[in-house]
Amino acid sequence: MRRIWIIFRKEALDTLRDRRTLMIMVGMPLLLIPLLLLAVTRIQSAQFEKAERQQQRIAFFGIEYAPELYARFEADERLLLINGIEEDSLVNMITSEELAGAVLVAPDFLIRIAGDQQAQVQIIFQGSDAFGTAKDRLIDLIEAYDREIVNERVKRLKLDPNLFDAIKIEQTDLATMQEKIAEAVGGFLPYMFIIFGFMGAMYPGIDLGAGEKERGTLETLLSTPAARLEIVIGKLLVVMAAGVATALLALLGIFLAMHSFPEMPAHILDVITDMLGLRMVFFLFTLILPLTAFFAAVILSLSIYARSFKEAQSIITPLNIAIIFPAMIGLLPGIELNATTALVPILNVALATKDLLAGSINPFYLAEVYVSLLVLAGVSIWGCVIWFNREATLFRS
Amino acid sequence: MIEVGNVTKEFSLSRQLRREMGRAYKDAKSIKAVDGVSFECAPGRIFGLLGPNGAGKTTILRMIATMLKPTGGFIKVAGYDTQKDGQRVRENIGFMTGQTALYDRLTPNEMVKYIADLHGMEPARFTERRDELFTLLNIHEFADRRIGRLSSGMKQKTSIARTIIHDAEVMVFDEPTEGLDVMTSRAIIDLIRSCSSDGKTVIFSTHRMGEVKLICDDIAIIHKGILYFNGTVEQFEAQMTKESYEDEFIHLVGEG
Repeated sequence: MRRIWIIFRKEALDTLRDRRTLMIMVGMPLLLIPLLLLAVTRIQSAQFEKAERQQQRIAFFGIEYAPELYARFEADERLLLINGIEEDSLVNMITSEELAGAVLVAPDFLIRIAGDQQAQVQIIFQGSDAFGTAKDRLIDLIEAYDREIVNERVKRLKLDPNLFDAIKIEQTDLATMQEKIAEAVGGFLPYMFIIFGFMGAMYPGIDLGAGEKERGTLETLLSTPAARLEIVIGKLLVVMAAGVATALLALLGIFLAMHSFPEMPAHILDVITDMLGLRMVFFLFTLILPLTAFFAAVILSLSIYARSFKEAQSIITPLNIAIIFPAMIGLLPGIELNATTALVPILNVALATKDLLAGSINPFYLAEVYVSLLVLAGVSIWGCVIWFNREATLFRS
Repeated sequence: MIEVGNVTKEFSLSRQLRREMGRAYKDAKSIKAVDGVSFECAPGRIFGLLGPNGAGKTTILRMIATMLKPTGGFIKVAGYDTQKDGQRVRENIGFMTGQTALYDRLTPNEMVKYIADLHGMEPARFTERRDELFTLLNIHEFADRRIGRLSSGMKQKTSIARTIIHDAEVMVFDEPTEGLDVMTSRAIIDLIRSCSSDGKTVIFSTHRMGEVKLICDDIAIIHKGILYFNGTVEQFEAQMTKESYEDEFIHLVGEG
């Protein structure tokens, strides 16, 4: 036990002095995540505002068939009506973004309206327009006009307005704000901390295994009274601690990012702060701990097998994909924690976190997640110890 | 004291290794790196394990240091069997290779303390021994600088300090002068001599005949895992039929 502590202390000190590890462990989660999230949301909202402010160039055909509708279009400052365009060149002009859209009024528009019939207006737009602003503005204006005509007809014909609203939908949403937020960000959060848990464990794991071989210090260490088991456990604990610390710092990074969004409404922020309280951090910690133990055991086993730092990197880096895949499945709507998914490593942590955030987790499934994670961690650590005891692994040539 | 009795070490061959080693090993499942080797290293004497690259020297030294397990035979270090009392054996040895084998992000002070702690040295004894060694090797002035920023000479001194900090009874040197310049090699040779004069059992491997002549009391000549000679340097010289150590070595292993 004493030697495990000595090895842990030394490896931890060595790891904390490694700039590359520190960058991944502290720099990325605490600086990069908030900056990236902030930049993405800022750019997105700036683009949205720009699109909102931008005047859309619209061609209106059939002014004489619907002068009142035209007047409404003309009065809207967000639209710039372009006249004198050939109808044949419309499609080209819209696809080449010279025009945002076009309105074509049927020649019998006024006659049909006057006859209390349905009149036709065609709108042409480019659906791939990022914010769909042209389409929305055209439809909004036409629908407003449509409502006025209908109201006028109802009044003139002395009809009951309910004729046109046969069913009134009364909505009672039982989902709490916490559940709604959990649904929106619940997948993203575990995705981030699982990835960071792995990334945080990766460099120390490579350094403590393959790095030790490359420096020639492995023989020095093996010739000390420390038993192989003590060496592996000491190293594993450091790799695990690095993974857990990185995952928790990633969580803190996301939390800080949310607090720095100026657009974030205060009541949502309050709910998020409540969600990420001590109880939640405790659950996240207990979930990420066995998962990182599994990561650490796998990384250290592969790392000690490799002949050099470079070889270890080329073996372990592709594992990122294997980690991302189940974490991404957890992001998909409709994938829920059940007796089967609770047994799938990584995915189970993603789904359990999502349910924990929503405050509605099935305790049986949560217990299943913990048991499966502990078994997985135990088996992988045991495998790592056996692996570390193999001469062919340590002295592979 | 080191006793090596009829020790054999076989390594299993992977398919890739079999391919790399050519047709002769096409169907071989394993290869004998050491084949029935026996010798004894006595305290206060320097034992040279002599042989070309791939002779099995490192394998023997790794077995002595309990890093590898013999397939057959036995090894006793300071009276302890390497297979039954591995930890006791390791408590009694200091191991050094040609590489400085240091952690770049630690300081010499921390490096030496790490090894001393793993050997369970008492703090007072450690401080006394460290100060003594740091003075002897002139380490004090860079004792708190990161090893990665030290010159190769400073690193070598640190490496020596960490090898002998726990004052082990048996010292194992695996090609310790390999790739070193003349000055640094001389420092290592001096270290080996001082270990021997302190009454320690010293075994060191080399493929340089000049080093053997310079410092060894006893030698074992090994080639392709087989022991060809074991005796004192005087006995070796007495039975020499060739003029130089090199020629005699080649003659002995039957490749001359």
